[in-house]
Amino acid sequence: MIAAAFARLRGWEGLLLALLVVIVVVNMAHSPYYLGVGNIINLFQLEIEKIIVALMMTLIIINGEIDLSVASVMGMSACVMAWSFRAGVPLPWAMLAAMASGVAAGLINGFWIAYVGLPSLAVTLAGLIGYRGVARILVQDRAIGDYPGWFNALGQQGLVGPLTLSIIIFLAMFAVLGLVLHGAALGRLVYVIGNNLQAARYSGVRVRRVKMTLFVASAVVAALAGLLYAARLGSVRGDMAQGFELDIITIVLLGGVSIFGGSGNLLGVGLSILVILNLRNGMGLADITGNTQTSVIGALLILSVLAPNIAQAIHIRWKGRET
Amino acid sequence: MEGAAVDRRSDAPAVNAPMLNLRDITKRFGATQALEGVSLTLRAGRVHALLGENGAGKSTLIKIMTGVHQPDHGEMLLAGRPLRLASAAEAQRHGIAAIYQEPLLFPDLNVAENIFISHQDRGAVTNWRQMFRRAEEILASLGVALDVRSPARGLTLAAQQSVEIAKAISLNVRVLIMDEPTASLSSHEVAQLFKLVRDLREKDVAILFVSHRMEEVFEIADDVTVFRDGRLISTRPRAEVTPQRAIADMVGREMGLLQPRSPAKLGEKLLSVRGLGRDGAFEDVSFDLRRGEVLGFAGLIGAGRTDVGLALFGIEPATSGQIVLDGRAVTIRSPRQAMALGIAYSSEDRRQLGLSLPMSIATNITLPVLSRYLNWLGLVRTGMERATAEAFRRRLAIRTPSVDIAVSKLSGGNQQKVMLSKWLNTHPALLILDEPTRGIDVGAKAEVHAIIGELAAEGIGIIMISSDLPEVLAMSDRVLVMREGRQMAVLDRDGADQESVMAAAMGQSTARQPSGAEA
Amino acid sequence: MTWLRRRIRPEQIREFSLLLLIVVAVLIFGSAIDNYYTSRTFNRIASSVMIITVVAVGQTLVVLTRNIDLSVGSIVGCTAYVAGVRIAADNGLPAIVPVLIAVALGAAMGAINGVLVAWGRVPSIIVTLGTLAIFRGLLVDYSGARTVTTDSLPPWLVDLPRLDLFTLAGLHVKVMVALALAIVIAFQLATSYLTFARQFYALGSNPDAADLIGLPTRRIVLTAFVLSGALSGLAGFMTLARFGNITVEAGRGLELEVVAAAVVGGVNIFGGSGTVIGAMLGGVMIGTLEQSLLRLQINEFWRDAVMGLLILLAVASDAVILKRLRALWARADLEMIARSAPRTGEAP
Repeated sequence: MIAAAFARLRGWEGLLLALLVVIVVVNMAHSPYYLGVGNIINLFQLEIEKIIVALMMTLIIINGEIDLSVASVMGMSACVMAWSFRAGVPLPWAMLAAMASGVAAGLINGFWIAYVGLPSLAVTLAGLIGYRGVARILVQDRAIGDYPGWFNALGQQGLVGPLTLSIIIFLAMFAVLGLVLHGAALGRLVYVIGNNLQAARYSGVRVRRVKMTLFVASAVVAALAGLLYAARLGSVRGDMAQGFELDIITIVLLGGVSIFGGSGNLLGVGLSILVILNLRNGMGLADITGNTQTSVIGALLILSVLAPNIAQAIHIRWKGRET
Repeated sequence: MEGAAVDRRSDAPAVNAPMLNLRDITKRFGATQALEGVSLTLRAGRVHALLGENGAGKSTLIKIMTGVHQPDHGEMLLAGRPLRLASAAEAQRHGIAAIYQEPLLFPDLNVAENIFISHQDRGAVTNWRQMFRRAEEILASLGVALDVRSPARGLTLAAQQSVEIAKAISLNVRVLIMDEPTASLSSHEVAQLFKLVRDLREKDVAILFVSHRMEEVFEIADDVTVFRDGRLISTRPRAEVTPQRAIADMVGREMGLLQPRSPAKLGEKLLSVRGLGRDGAFEDVSFDLRRGEVLGFAGLIGAGRTDVGLALFGIEPATSGQIVLDGRAVTIRSPRQAMALGIAYSSEDRRQLGLSLPMSIATNITLPVLSRYLNWLGLVRTGMERATAEAFRRRLAIRTPSVDIAVSKLSGGNQQKVMLSKWLNTHPALLILDEPTRGIDVGAKAEVHAIIGELAAEGIGIIMISSDLPEVLAMSDRVLVMREGRQMAVLDRDGADQESVMAAAMGQSTARQPSGAEA
Repeated sequence: MTWLRRRIRPEQIREFSLLLLIVVAVLIFGSAIDNYYTSRTFNRIASSVMIITVVAVGQTLVVLTRNIDLSVGSIVGCTAYVAGVRIAADNGLPAIVPVLIAVALGAAMGAINGVLVAWGRVPSIIVTLGTLAIFRGLLVDYSGARTVTTDSLPPWLVDLPRLDLFTLAGLHVKVMVALALAIVIAFQLATSYLTFARQFYALGSNPDAADLIGLPTRRIVLTAFVLSGALSGLAGFMTLARFGNITVEAGRGLELEVVAAAVVGGVNIFGGSGTVIGAMLGGVMIGTLEQSLLRLQINEFWRDAVMGLLILLAVASDAVILKRLRALWARADLEMIARSAPRTGEAP
């Protein structure tokens, strides 16, 4: 186990870790309070919903699929809650309805992908647009706010010490999904299917059931993240979380998860989350705007695949010259 | 294009002049010697047949002639000039084209465009009307009625083959290689194809014709070459060859170290299959299997043996016939159902279907029965998993530093043992082994044979699908021979020898009468 | 019947049914909305569709080669802004200059995508996800979050969207709509007749075979991305003309509408099949829904939901119905062969 961990450090995770250290050191030079509890909590809070969804997306991409609909499910769930609340439903029930909408979205995605066999790229693109549509139908161009104090407090204030509910959920999910992916039967099957779907089928793995489970779980997590986002903002709009899917997928791919499935791990994604959070924060400290931050992360994403390819090409050419 | 054709005709070599010379071609893939010192001459206006068992090196030779592979050693001459091919496209420019059993068409393009896709002189703008007309002309000259406007997707294999041939003709080929072009054609289509081959021969094209159908080879070929184990065994004019002699050349493999397995004591009847079939794959297969028996499935690639295995394991369920297992009639629709019935199927394609290569040995071994290794939390008990893997590592002598390393790092023989372990761990009553020793070295092969013998002795019923004739003969209690989706014969241990099995597999009537199932 | 079957392919049936669907949608909206069948409705739909359509043509070329270009929205934004700044700085520039600036800049951005995909061997979804962010970020930096305003533009550019090319039966056909239509026709013809463009289909249809017969696969992919970028650049110029005010947000989210238009129009997301005309019809379908639902006031928010359903329908029908149709066609071909066999095939 320890040997395996060390082997990993020499690979992609090691690179991310080195990058992280550099970023943190530079940031600390900028601001002595950088590693203060307040700043760290703040760091997480700003992107917390995205990184929660990214954890589940990791499993989907390792399984060789993609879920583009997550951000729209976040928006839909928040809008279902807001709409029911506005219609007079007590907030806890409204939240339950929101979670149910997430289950429904997951079942729809999973049905078409796992049982009909349509490509997940196309199905979840339809979901991306369609679920956003449901959100818009419900809330239209209003902003629905005025939730009970406890709801806003859940999203904004520390629940255990300085840790907010969202951060606690993130940490818990990181632990649970780490266990599932690297210790449980489901995680094992996720890798096997992502590596080679046919070999999994020939070993009697119930491929459809695994895919269905993942897409339902992905939508449920997205629905939960949508509620947390609503609680943090204190108001719900139809375009909530719009465009988040690209950031979420970027986090996962930067974490060393192959877009073709089968490889990657949660540790890498965890590091990628830290790199992106600290990078954004650091660039913020250096007065670099949000959009430049996004382009730096975009460049990192391309480089994460390009660099190994170039290294390999050089290696092959070099070897060719020697012989 | 017409102009180019004329040019080529004008400097075309005299009839029967050597068109393509291969000299001392050698090719290795890792540990496998695919070709060794092969010298072969294809002459203009002659059809040269190539015979050989699966794995004799025919495919490698074709790939070298078409520029897909480059030889390690040796040279090629085209019409007397040295020829070096870096790619298939280059071979095509030199007038060397190949037609494969599975045509390489563009499914979304129409027939005419598929024919002319690689033409250099197609011009910047496509004149569809002219292209359709020329495609129709070429197809008509082949006697093929095919809508040149329909996309290649959805064409029958025979129709696709016609398109490939039309493509070769339109390119004015000098050397045409046909790799089992008749494997999926009906007799009418074969007759048509042969008419075409004769036309090409008239036009001084040198043709290499690879086929498993002996009667076809003797109908069409001018010369017959036999390959075995990467070597050229014989080249003779057809008049000097008889089917018996060709078969003898093909199978003249030494039994070598293969010791016939001492037959185990047979138990009660385990499996009874009657009239099993799957549309488009195989039909009317009937046999019985007793506990402790090894039933060999012999035949050439594409004979439908694997399809029978896949039907029994529920991957591609049968569409007709009945299966009785342990006295109970069963229908098998999924691998999980098959596993629950005590059936295991070890795939012929270790790398793509049998194993998950990047994953560890232990992971692969426990995959089909992972639920046995979970604790109350649903987590995999890695200690227990490793214990199982270690047990198999000792029992089957899997040579590896650890059971935690990726299967991809193992040799073929050890990978095969991992696959055996994986299925033995499901405690099967019926074990279907598809090509259990393909691509593994001699030592590992002997070990796998010993393991199979032990398993039979333990009372497992074994179906062994193998293209390695000596292996089938040494290991099996009985041999079922298939050819083109049909069961040709079930031979007893005493009645089976290399000649009789190969003759049945190639549809030669010189063998004993094909019998149905023994009733 | 045989003649019909020979001329019409399942793919064309698909485009025809989309056309039918558009007609049905128009009829339904016409009965629900007063004064629907007017020149104004036509213009609204046409000018909302034209920009999507031009970008969708480029997207179709990329998707045909088994790739995807998600950066088109950012390219539209960048080119619209840069061309706008240039013309705002010097109102006397000839009209062709801002167009050329936008197209050339777009082509250069597309070339970056193409090189990274074809030579860097990075999957296109990753490359264009990255450049989607990078191009947008560069735009924000370059612009300093300033806006190109309508009053800084020369009058001819501001008036361009209202300029009619000709009037036919009361329908005012705008110059820019005609331009979009011309591009669709040009690329439809090119992808049908140009030998190089036919290779886009070949590559997407069977990449292994394309490699084997020596098609210039890298150059094909690069060309597709460059064209997608250049057309996005042209769309950037059209955006500048149509809206006048160009913020750094211009074109954001356009990539999804464009991919949706292509998919609804029958372009196979896994390459090899689909037409430029189909992509345009997909764009028209979406534009019709968008503009008509807008007129229905209360229900404008149904647009996205309906669009999502449309995409799902399109993909599912490709997988299920088209497969059936093709089987039907193949069987008919077989029967034809069987009928003609006795005439042509006597065994020697």
